[in-house]
Amino acid sequence: MTDATIVLSSALALPGVLLLLCLFPSVRARMPKFAVIAPVPALAAAWFAGRDPSIVFATHFFQGHLALDVAGALLLAAAAILWICAGLYAATEMRRSRNAGNFSAWWLTAMLGNFGVVMSADIASFYLFLAAGTIGAYGMIMHTMTPDARRASVTYIGFALAGEASILIGLVLLAAASPGHSLLIRDAVAGLSPSPWRDLTVAFLALGFGLKIGLAPLHIWMPLAYTAAPISAAAVLSGAAVKAGVIGLIRFMPFDAGSVNVGTGLAMAGIVSTFYGVAVGITRANPKTILACSSISQMGVIATLIGVGLATANAGVAIAAAFYGAHHVLVKGGLFLAAGIGVSDRRNRWLVFVPATVLAFALAGLPFTGGYLAKEAVKPFIGEGAFAIFAALSAAGTTLLMLFFVTRLGSASHDPRGTPTASGLLVPWLATAFFAIAIPWLSLSLTDAIPISEVNSIADLWSAIWPILIGGGLVALWLNQKRQPREIDVASAADIIRRMMTICTSTVERAEAILRQWQAGSISLLAVTTVLIVIIATGR
Amino acid sequence: MIADAATSLDAASTHGYLLVLAIVVPVGGVLIATAVGGRTAERTAFAVIAAGLILGFAILLDVWMTSRPLAYVLGNWAAPLGITLRADGISAVMLVTTALIIAATALYACADFTIPRDGLEARAPFVFWVLLLAVWAALNTVFLSGDLFNLYVALELLTFAAVPLVALSGRAEAITAALRYLLFALAGSIFYLLGVALLYGAYGTLDIILLHQRIRPELAVSLAVAMMTAGLLAKTALFPLHFWLPPAHAGAPPAASAILSALVVKGSFFLIIRIWFDVLPGSRSLAAAQVLGVMGAAAILFGSIVAFRQARLKLLIAYSTVAQIGYLFLLFPLVVGFEGSPWSATAWTGGWIQLVSHAFAKAAMFMAAGLIAQALGHDRIDDLGGVARALPLTVLAFAISGISLMGVPPSGGFVAKWLMLSASVEEGQWWWAVTVVAGGLIAGAYVIRVMTRMLGPRLELPTLSVKVDRWRQSLPLSLAICAMLLGLLPLQSLELLQVGLPHFLGSAGR
Amino acid sequence: MTSATLFGLCGAILIGLGLFELITDPHPLRKILGFNLLGGGVFLVLGVVARRGAAAGYLGDPVPQALVITGIVVAFSATALAVALVVRLSEVSGRVSLAYASSEQTDSDGAEG
Repeated sequence: MTDATIVLSSALALPGVLLLLCLFPSVRARMPKFAVIAPVPALAAAWFAGRDPSIVFATHFFQGHLALDVAGALLLAAAAILWICAGLYAATEMRRSRNAGNFSAWWLTAMLGNFGVVMSADIASFYLFLAAGTIGAYGMIMHTMTPDARRASVTYIGFALAGEASILIGLVLLAAASPGHSLLIRDAVAGLSPSPWRDLTVAFLALGFGLKIGLAPLHIWMPLAYTAAPISAAAVLSGAAVKAGVIGLIRFMPFDAGSVNVGTGLAMAGIVSTFYGVAVGITRANPKTILACSSISQMGVIATLIGVGLATANAGVAIAAAFYGAHHVLVKGGLFLAAGIGVSDRRNRWLVFVPATVLAFALAGLPFTGGYLAKEAVKPFIGEGAFAIFAALSAAGTTLLMLFFVTRLGSASHDPRGTPTASGLLVPWLATAFFAIAIPWLSLSLTDAIPISEVNSIADLWSAIWPILIGGGLVALWLNQKRQPREIDVASAADIIRRMMTICTSTVERAEAILRQWQAGSISLLAVTTVLIVIIATGR
Repeated sequence: MIADAATSLDAASTHGYLLVLAIVVPVGGVLIATAVGGRTAERTAFAVIAAGLILGFAILLDVWMTSRPLAYVLGNWAAPLGITLRADGISAVMLVTTALIIAATALYACADFTIPRDGLEARAPFVFWVLLLAVWAALNTVFLSGDLFNLYVALELLTFAAVPLVALSGRAEAITAALRYLLFALAGSIFYLLGVALLYGAYGTLDIILLHQRIRPELAVSLAVAMMTAGLLAKTALFPLHFWLPPAHAGAPPAASAILSALVVKGSFFLIIRIWFDVLPGSRSLAAAQVLGVMGAAAILFGSIVAFRQARLKLLIAYSTVAQIGYLFLLFPLVVGFEGSPWSATAWTGGWIQLVSHAFAKAAMFMAAGLIAQALGHDRIDDLGGVARALPLTVLAFAISGISLMGVPPSGGFVAKWLMLSASVEEGQWWWAVTVVAGGLIAGAYVIRVMTRMLGPRLELPTLSVKVDRWRQSLPLSLAICAMLLGLLPLQSLELLQVGLPHFLGSAGR
Repeated sequence: MTSATLFGLCGAILIGLGLFELITDPHPLRKILGFNLLGGGVFLVLGVVARRGAAAGYLGDPVPQALVITGIVVAFSATALAVALVVRLSEVSGRVSLAYASSEQTDSDGAEG
């Protein structure tokens, strides 16, 4: 057994074994504590894989193939760290909850799905882990069992299943075009260039993954889900789980062959998302909702990046997107953890607000934070020329939104639980904040696969700073204005969908009431017989 | 393969007696149970089940290892007058599936249908055990027989054994449902008999292999095939001939519902396959296959949507059966007309994996619903809150079955879905792909609807009317896990399912 | 027109009558009678098949006759089962019909007896 086999398999085996142990009630009750160490082998795997990108780090088990490249290693490392920190947070958060064990079971399922998606190298395993992640997320969102939580979880899984249906069609088309019917992702995507269905395949895949990352206008589920979920769940979902869509885009988009139509569409949807997220976010009061809208915005940036790469057939965007995404994992996850800490205690205020503000600026690209590196990685693709304006505006918008979030963080108790701050909550938050700032620098020094030049000229620094200043100014303006903004109700869009569904399905039900009469059925029998006779007799 | 018919007519296989035993053992059980009665009925049933499991696996192993069908000529009277028993790949798989599901159902039904120790029989338990064996005997005959009229008798035996199972509870709705089922099934079988008469009139034989050699495209054959297909469609409850199924399957006791949904409707489907792929010669009507496909697609969409609207759990599961049966009929447009291409083998495998995984999943679902209904005293979906806490294993079984019905990995349902999607995409018939995906989404809707209710909270834990044992909850769970284990099958066509079929199916089917 | 053709036409008419009765008449007993007519028609067709398939010197092919006998037994048991269900239904509910009771779709009693 090679190193790769041991490390990669254990990354999935440990969460899997813990999940199976959840079948026993006595173990299940104590699972929140055990779940903290579950991501450790995955972290080790990311470490081994990222160290030397020239070595192929792969293994296979029956027909399931696992592999890690640099992009995967980046996302996996960030995700693993977040799962560990959020797991510590959850252990404290769930202490007083009645079904903490069940929460852990859903938690482990989502974790398994998240790691599996990043490590899968063949189509079937990828889809399997994608489904596992969705199921785990569904359970976690529903945990508090309030009507809002149930509604959010149903909306989430409705959108997720629709996305996975689109992805499935894309995967089937991909497998059909794959040379030698190989189910390896690498082979299949390579075989896509000469395929006549290339644009169709890529369109379905892009649509499905876009749904999974909350690209406007398919973003409706995101604010609902992240607001309703418990804090630790929201942290891992918005941080790590949503990156399943990102890794899907990275793995499945044929950057070598390129696809102009789909790429342009993806980029445009990304641009719309970037600003739509900001626009909706500043009208909300709940910090968790604001963070969700910020996720929409940030995923929009990644989508724009990938869209541009696809349209210009530039394979370099993959690593850049992974780097940006990895940074977002830790920042967003950390900010969610901060949102759950009660700020009544004076001492805790500084411990919460200062790092939160730093992270807020980091997301906008403040120099010498990890966010600055992330923006630098993205700049060669969407930071120059026509896109320079976009980059600047998005940085300004992010600053606006995130500073608004920090102000809401200090508002009256938004966490209904109102738990007195325990160190069990503070420590994971501070650890995540630290990693969020440090990891990008760390990864840059560990591997040279990321194309960022460390030499920073004053011009670069200034071009990063001035959008942040503008954003800060906008926040001051926004907070001062007396008019209460009307909250664009995201939930009403979901209600419209539900009402349309009810109308369609009740029509069908009325048709069934007619068809189930004996006369209707037996006349159908005669009709079917006659039709078959005519068709078979004339067909020969 | 069929071209070797001349030799296979004479050469019964060495282990052909296994086929005879597979039919005679359940029938013997029925006779003994009826004659002796009392507790022996239940004991006989279990003895037969044990024997039947061994026989089923033995036949499957033989067919698998030798890659040739098993054959037995009754009484050494060769066709055209004699009757041949024949087990090809799909027969063997169905035999094993039937044996496993009936075994699980019998264990499940122990608690509901115990015959009292003092020997005073109650009507329901006695009837249940006898009819369980009768259904099994009939199914085995359907899977093994090689003569069209013998198949008619087996079909009728199946109906007569299944109908009283529906009426077992004695309530007025159940008896009405049983009567409706019986009358419609009888109409179907009379159509089938008329087709048989026409075929005999045209060719003078009813042996499947001989008919395959002699049949020519002519009016009598068209009439016969159309009538037989239509009659069998009535018994398989394909849309729009499905109206009898939901009240019948929902009104039966849960053990009976499991058998009815999982196995009984598949018996007539098996016959349609036999007629289309074993009796008819090489070129079949493409348009008719498309008609069957359209009806299947309508069944998928219609059944799933109506299932979503149901207020009662057992009716929801019954309408889900209507929908899942539609998937089976997508096999026809994907295989007929594409003989020789490897995609027909893929579609064939997909259809059969769908059938087997649906059998396991649906049986598990009905059993789980039965336990829930028994524990809560009702099966209203909106009032299922708190069940997950009270009956965790049952809810887990329901969830895993739901995953298979939705076609989400890991499950047999996903493998079947993938195979059928691949075939339809490769053959250019993309509209079936759209139907399959849409059906999966709507199935997801009603499964999630039920799961959300079951996982939901309740102010106080529901008071369980009846305490449900843990081992009884593990029965639907084990069936659901079987459906999940089918997900380990490779995403390609299976050789076993093509043993004994004509070689039109692309790859090396013998 | 030979007697075989005549009997064949008779059989067809019986099948038509039986189908009509089975489909349109609301009372289940009449449907059962319709089924028997239907069966009778099919048996007549089988008889015609026997006549036409007769070998030289014989009046009729014995195989379809065997089929008819089996068919009669099957139809007889089917009728008996159906009539038993009708009788039981009338005992239990007093009203024999295949129509759905209005409360059936919302019947909340899911527990079986």
